[in-house]
Amino acid sequence: MTNTAPSSLSQLVRSAANEFSATPAFTVCLPNGMNGTLTFEMVDELSDAFAIYLREVLALEPGDRVAVQVPNSLSFPVAAFGIFKAQCILVNVNPLYTSSEMALQFEDATPSALVIADVFADKLPEAMRNHNIPNVIVTQVSEFIPYLPQKIIRLVQKYWDRSVRPVPFPHIKLIDALEAARQSNQRSQSIVDGFDKATNADATACLQYTGGTTGIPKGAMLTHNNLLANVEQTLKAIPSMAEQHQTILTALPLYHIFAFTVNLLCFFRLGAQNILIPNPRPLINLKRSFENYPITWMSGVNTLFNGLTRELWFQDSPPKNLRFSTAGGMAMQTAVAERWQQVTQSPLLEGYGLTETSPVLAFNPLDQNRIGSVGVPLSSTEITCIDDDGKLLPIGATGEVAVKGPQIMKGYWQNPDETEASFQDGWFKTGDIGRLDQDGYLHIIDRKKDVIIVSGFNVYPTEIENCLATLKGVAEAAVVGVRDSNANEVVTAFVVLQDKTLSEASLLEYCQKHLTNYKIPKKIIFRDELPKSPVGKILRKDLHLILTSPSEPSV
Amino acid sequence: MVTPFEQLLLAIMIFVIMLGMGASLTPRDFALALRRPYGLAIGFFSQYGFMPMIGVLLVTLLEPPAPIAIGTLIMACMPGGTTSNMFTYFSKGNLALSVLMTVNATALGIVVIPTLLIFYANTLELQIPTRNIIATLILLLVPVALGMFLRRTNANIGAVTEFFGAALGVFFIVFLIVTWVPRNWIFLMTTAPSTYSIAICLGLVGIIIGYLFAKLLRLHPHDARTIALETGIQNGPLALAIILFSFPASESPPITIIPALYSLFIVLISTAVTLLFRRANTARE
Repeated sequence: MTNTAPSSLSQLVRSAANEFSATPAFTVCLPNGMNGTLTFEMVDELSDAFAIYLREVLALEPGDRVAVQVPNSLSFPVAAFGIFKAQCILVNVNPLYTSSEMALQFEDATPSALVIADVFADKLPEAMRNHNIPNVIVTQVSEFIPYLPQKIIRLVQKYWDRSVRPVPFPHIKLIDALEAARQSNQRSQSIVDGFDKATNADATACLQYTGGTTGIPKGAMLTHNNLLANVEQTLKAIPSMAEQHQTILTALPLYHIFAFTVNLLCFFRLGAQNILIPNPRPLINLKRSFENYPITWMSGVNTLFNGLTRELWFQDSPPKNLRFSTAGGMAMQTAVAERWQQVTQSPLLEGYGLTETSPVLAFNPLDQNRIGSVGVPLSSTEITCIDDDGKLLPIGATGEVAVKGPQIMKGYWQNPDETEASFQDGWFKTGDIGRLDQDGYLHIIDRKKDVIIVSGFNVYPTEIENCLATLKGVAEAAVVGVRDSNANEVVTAFVVLQDKTLSEASLLEYCQKHLTNYKIPKKIIFRDELPKSPVGKILRKDLHLILTSPSEPSV
Repeated sequence: MVTPFEQLLLAIMIFVIMLGMGASLTPRDFALALRRPYGLAIGFFSQYGFMPMIGVLLVTLLEPPAPIAIGTLIMACMPGGTTSNMFTYFSKGNLALSVLMTVNATALGIVVIPTLLIFYANTLELQIPTRNIIATLILLLVPVALGMFLRRTNANIGAVTEFFGAALGVFFIVFLIVTWVPRNWIFLMTTAPSTYSIAICLGLVGIIIGYLFAKLLRLHPHDARTIALETGIQNGPLALAIILFSFPASESPPITIIPALYSLFIVLISTAVTLLFRRANTARE
C-alpha cells in the first residue's frame, strides 16, 4: 500500500490498480464453488469504461445520481468505482427491497440511471411509478465469470431456481454498455483522469440510505472526503491489516455502509483479494469459499457469527488462516463473541459506527481487544455522551453518544429538518445510548428509542437479550417493550430455541438469577425465527408488528 | 440384460459420476469423517448397519436365486449417492447433514463395503469375487482422486465437473427408463414377484427404519427426514459398476437386475416420500 492518502475515490482506485496491477482484486464465489475473478487493472479498466459510458454515452452530469441495486458480485465494484470516476453520486439500494420501498427511495434520490441485477428487475415497473429512471443497465450475478460456469449458472437460475425472468423494461446490458463506452472512446484513462481533476473533495460521493430499522428512509450525503477519511482512519486503527497479503470474505452485502467502506474500499487500497458472496443464506453457501480460499479476515454481524459457530461444517474446520474478524452493524452479544473466538481461535474485534458516519467511529485495537466494548475512538474522532438537554456528560456517565470527525456526513439529502435535528453545536447525535469508561473504551448500551421504561427505571433490551443468549439451548433472543392497556411498557422477550425442551419457566428462572427484578421479561414468546434485515439485524420494529397483527398464528 | 455397448456407456458414466464426486471432496473431508464421531455414528449405523441387515432379511425371507441374492447384498451395502442429496434438497431437509453423511459413508466405503460383503456373503453362503470387488473399489478411487485434483487445481473446473457428475447421476436414471426398460420389457414381465418385492422394499424399509432410528435419537424432525432419505437412497450406479467390473461377463447380467430395478423404484419412492416430507416441512414453517 502506498502511504500517501489518495485525494479522491477515483484516485484511490487508480493508485491501487497501478500498484497491484495483475493480482486478483475481486473473486465472486457461488455456493457450488463456481467463481470469477477480476484483477486490479481489470477493475480499473472496466470502471473507466463505465464512467465513460455514464458521462459520454448517457451524457450524465457530475452530481447526477446513479443507483446500484446489485448483490455482491463482480459488477458491484465496476459500477460503484465507475460512478465515482464519473463524479456522479452513487445511491446504494438494498437488493432485497420490495418495489414500494424501492419507489420511496427512487422518488427521494431521483437517480438518472440504475444498475440492477436481473433477478430483481421484475420489481422495476412498480418501483418506478413515482420516479421514472431513464437509463436502466442490467447485470447478472454471474457477470465476468468464465464462459462455461457462467452458462451453467444461467441455466440453473433459469430452469432450476426460476430466479431470472425477462426484464419487463427497456434496458441495456452492462457488458454492452461497457462495449459502447470503449467504442466511443479509446483514451478512456486520460478522459477519466480529466473528470477527476474537476472533483471537489467535499462533493457528495454517495447517498447512503438509512432508517431501515426505524421508519422513513433518509439519504445520508457522504462526501469523497468522508469516505476517504474513514478508510485512512480505519487502516490506522488496525495497522496489522496492512502487514500481509489478505484474502477477505465479504458475506455482508456491499450496499451496506460497513461492507462498503471497510470490505470494499479499505481492502482494495490494501491490495487484498476480496471474496464476494452473492447470497450468504443458507450459511452452507459459504462453505466452498472457506474451503477454496485462505480467508485471513472477515466481517460480519452478530447473526452471521452466531449462525456460523452453530454450523457443523464450520465447527469441524474453522478457517485456519483467519487472523481476526470484525463485527459491526449491530451489537455483538458477549456469548456469541466468545464462542466465535473459541471456535476460530482468533480475535473478534467489535467496532461501532453509523451510516451517517461513513460508518466507522470506534474500533477495538487488535492487541487490546475488550469483548463487550466497541473500542476506542478512531484518530481525529471525538466521542462524548450528552444528556437529554444536550449537556456534555463527564466520563463514565451514561447518555446519548455524540460525535465529531472528518467522517461525519454533510447532512441528509434534501432534508434540512432532519439534518438540523441530528446535529447540535457541531456534534452529531447518534441516537445510541452509551458510556465511555476510564480507559476511553466506548460501551454501547442500546438504541435510544428502544429503551423500555419500567416504573421509571430504564431497561435496556440488549442487556436482557445478552442474558438470554448465554443460556444454553437458546439460539437467539430479542426483547422489546410492549404497551399494555394501561400504557405501561411490558418487557417482552422473543426467543428462538435450539433445545426445544426448554420451558418458559426455566428461562424465567435463569433471568431471575442474573437480572434485577424489573428487568425480567413479563412475557416470553417462542418463535421459529426472528424478523431480520438483509444484513441480519434483528428488526425490533417488526417484532412490534407481530404482536399487533391479528393474523399471526399462535406459536 | 446389459449389452457390451451399455457396459461401456455405463463405465463412462460411472467414471464421470465418480469424477464429480471427487470434485466435491477435499482431503480434509476424509480426515473429518474420522473426527466427528456423532455424525459418523448416525450415518454409519443407518447406512452400513441397517441397510445390509434389511437386505439380508429380505433374502432370507424371500429366498431368491443366488444372483438376485448377491445383487441385493451388494445394493444394500452401498453408501448414499448424490441422488439422496438432491431429494433432501427438494424435501427442504438438512442439506448439510445429507452431504456430510454421503461423504462420510463414501470415504469409509473403501474399507467397510468389502468387509460387510465378505461377512454377509459368508453368512448367506454366497460366492462373491471379493478380490475383484476390492480391486474395483480401488479402481474407482482413480476418478475420485482425479476429481479432487481438478478441484484443487482450479475451483471452476472442479465445480463444472461436479455439476456434470451430478447431472449424469440424474441422466443415469433417465437412461435406465428410456433404453433399458423397453428392451427388457419381456424380461421384466417375467421377473419373479419376489425380485420386485426386494427391489421395492430395500429402499422403502430403509427410509422407514432410518426415520424411526432418527426419531429414537430424538433428532429434530427436519434432520430425521434427512436421515430417512439418506438411509434408504443408495448409490445405484456404484453398485452396477462394482458388479460389471468384478464379476465375469457371463455371470454379471442377472446380478444387475436388483440394482437396476432398485434404481428405478427408488426414484418413485423418493419422489412420493419427498412430497410427503415437503408438506410436513412446509406445514411447520
